[in-house]
Amino acid sequence: MLEAVGLTKTYGSTVALAGVDLAVPAGESVAIMGASGSGKTTLLHCLAGIVAPDSGTVRLSTAGGPVFVNELDDAQRSALRRSTFGFVFQQGLLVPELTVVENVALPLMLGGMTRSAAEQHAGSWLAALGLADKLGSRIGELSGGQAQRVAIARAQVATPAVVFADEPTGALDSHTSTEVMDALIGSTTERGRTLVVVTHDEDVAARCGRIVRLRDGRIVETRTRVGSSGEMQLIETPDAGHR
Amino acid sequence: MNTIRLACLLGRPGASGRAAIVLPVVAFGVTTALLLTVLAGALAFFTWTGGAAASYQVLAVIALALLIVPLLALGGSAARLAARRRDDRLAILRLLGASAAMVARLTVLESTVLAVVGAVAGAAGYALLVPLVGLIPFRGAPLGVASLWLPVPVVGATVLAVAMIAAASAAIGLRAVVISPLGVRTRQSAPRLRRLRVVIGAAVIAIAFVVLNLTQLFGGLGTIAFVLAVAFGGALAVLNVIGPFVIGVFARRQVRRARTAQRLLAARGILESPKAAWRQIGGVAMTSFVAVFAGTGVAVAAAAGSGDRQSVELAADIRTGVVITVAVSFLMVACSVGVNQASAILDRRSLYVSLDRLGMPIGMMDAARRRAVLSPLRIVTVGSSLVAAVLIFPLVGLSLIVAPLSLVTIAGCLAAGILLVWLGLVATRPVLTTALGTLPDAV
Repeated sequence: MLEAVGLTKTYGSTVALAGVDLAVPAGESVAIMGASGSGKTTLLHCLAGIVAPDSGTVRLSTAGGPVFVNELDDAQRSALRRSTFGFVFQQGLLVPELTVVENVALPLMLGGMTRSAAEQHAGSWLAALGLADKLGSRIGELSGGQAQRVAIARAQVATPAVVFADEPTGALDSHTSTEVMDALIGSTTERGRTLVVVTHDEDVAARCGRIVRLRDGRIVETRTRVGSSGEMQLIETPDAGHR
Repeated sequence: MNTIRLACLLGRPGASGRAAIVLPVVAFGVTTALLLTVLAGALAFFTWTGGAAASYQVLAVIALALLIVPLLALGGSAARLAARRRDDRLAILRLLGASAAMVARLTVLESTVLAVVGAVAGAAGYALLVPLVGLIPFRGAPLGVASLWLPVPVVGATVLAVAMIAAASAAIGLRAVVISPLGVRTRQSAPRLRRLRVVIGAAVIAIAFVVLNLTQLFGGLGTIAFVLAVAFGGALAVLNVIGPFVIGVFARRQVRRARTAQRLLAARGILESPKAAWRQIGGVAMTSFVAVFAGTGVAVAAAAGSGDRQSVELAADIRTGVVITVAVSFLMVACSVGVNQASAILDRRSLYVSLDRLGMPIGMMDAARRRAVLSPLRIVTVGSSLVAAVLIFPLVGLSLIVAPLSLVTIAGCLAAGILLVWLGLVATRPVLTTALGTLPDAV
């Protein structure tokens, strides 16, 4: 369970978050939507420990007990991102001079795994995502969809509890976007991991179990998918912003 | 839209755009100030008359030959920096349909304007340095301010020369954008360096070795000095040619052997552009090259110290000249490393952000950055020292016998150079911290 309570964050005179409460149970997928400047990326950054909120708490339930992300120092947050979180961004943010397999192996090497073991592990993830023939390629040689699948493999390789994706299909066409979301969903919630996605794309959001809409730093609407298969519907939840 | 209006629009600084403008201006400024100061110092000897004047003039030419190549390299580095900082914007313009000619004009115009601003500031810096340089004693008395003022046309010509170097470097450096905007935009290709560089370099060193040793055997003082000056300058140029190739070879080996994330990142970073790696540390290679000659020069001067008063004075002045030459080399290195490192961090900000997101501590990023600079530094320092030692092997052997302290001088110079680079790296850490937006009290 990843739980945020009363998050606020301002940048100068701009209020990015104005008291956000959000709980994401383990294994669930949540899409955070909203117009540009609504605070959705700031919320993701606070949840992931990339930035610290001005006030409020972010609590992560782990096997070793609860961890308050907002109370960790910089080094501890870095360690948490290495061990527990995975990230997929719009541009991939892959290291351009490393090969595909080296990019995916990097989080494991940062965690102390030997290079050969890390690359072996990375190779199997890449193969599962249909990139077995691209292990030695440079990032600049890949298509947008391929690069995003590499980013997904990199986010998953350390078996994180939570994967954060910020506009993961923002730079892709609709067909490739569907493929990337298939890969993202298939490697997270279908394996019992939590997925938090920031997106503008209704189709991408519709793939998630819950949609949260932000406006001016506040949650204004939460819709939850009900049903187990087939024609599932999104249900309005009037008590928006609360668990 | 004409080129000047477009240049004005693109010239508006953004968050990193300000650094994109300031860094090249600083680099051009330091280059010009050092160039004018060195030139003034050398020309001051040509106003002298008397028995030993010719010796001083010959030594001044040698010092100029030693310093002019690294100075030009620093100037070229500043020019490439001015052009490279605009690569992305210009490549985007090209993608948007701007003509190749317009991109070329824009590039040359921007770089030239930055160079002129920097060079004018550098001329002012030279004026400030003159009173200090005038205090340096030669022939038993301070050099004096009056002898160090260059004529205004010479200063103007120097500013013009710096601007022309910037324009030429910008035009050459941006060929990739003009020819293949997509190639630059997406950074698809990793540049490979030709083995021909090594062959040419080895041939030039071999020829220089033979000529130098023949000259030492058969030539007069003037001939020896002239050939030494040409050979030293040529050898430094050769270092610039083969240095990137050698760094690339070592980097490939390091990539294969890297066991940790920071070692892998450092090695891949070097391999991405051995030329860029060389530009960062090439100055120290030059300094270590100069330091070998410096040690030898001090040794020879010490051996000649038992003669008449004029010989003693000349030996002391050679020692002073050697120290000045090495000090100026270090100054160039300091400038080169500082500017290149700050610019490299800004250029690679998105890379550092991605590593931060992955949970890579800033200390580990710094370690990778340090390794990417210090590893090739070790290679080129040893390599260039060996090249210098080979070139004047008999003189080095002689100095080892008559004045082993020369070895200490060389070791001290190399240690100082490495320390300076390390300081340059440490000084740029705040740039990395700021680029990541993760100042400890800001999160």
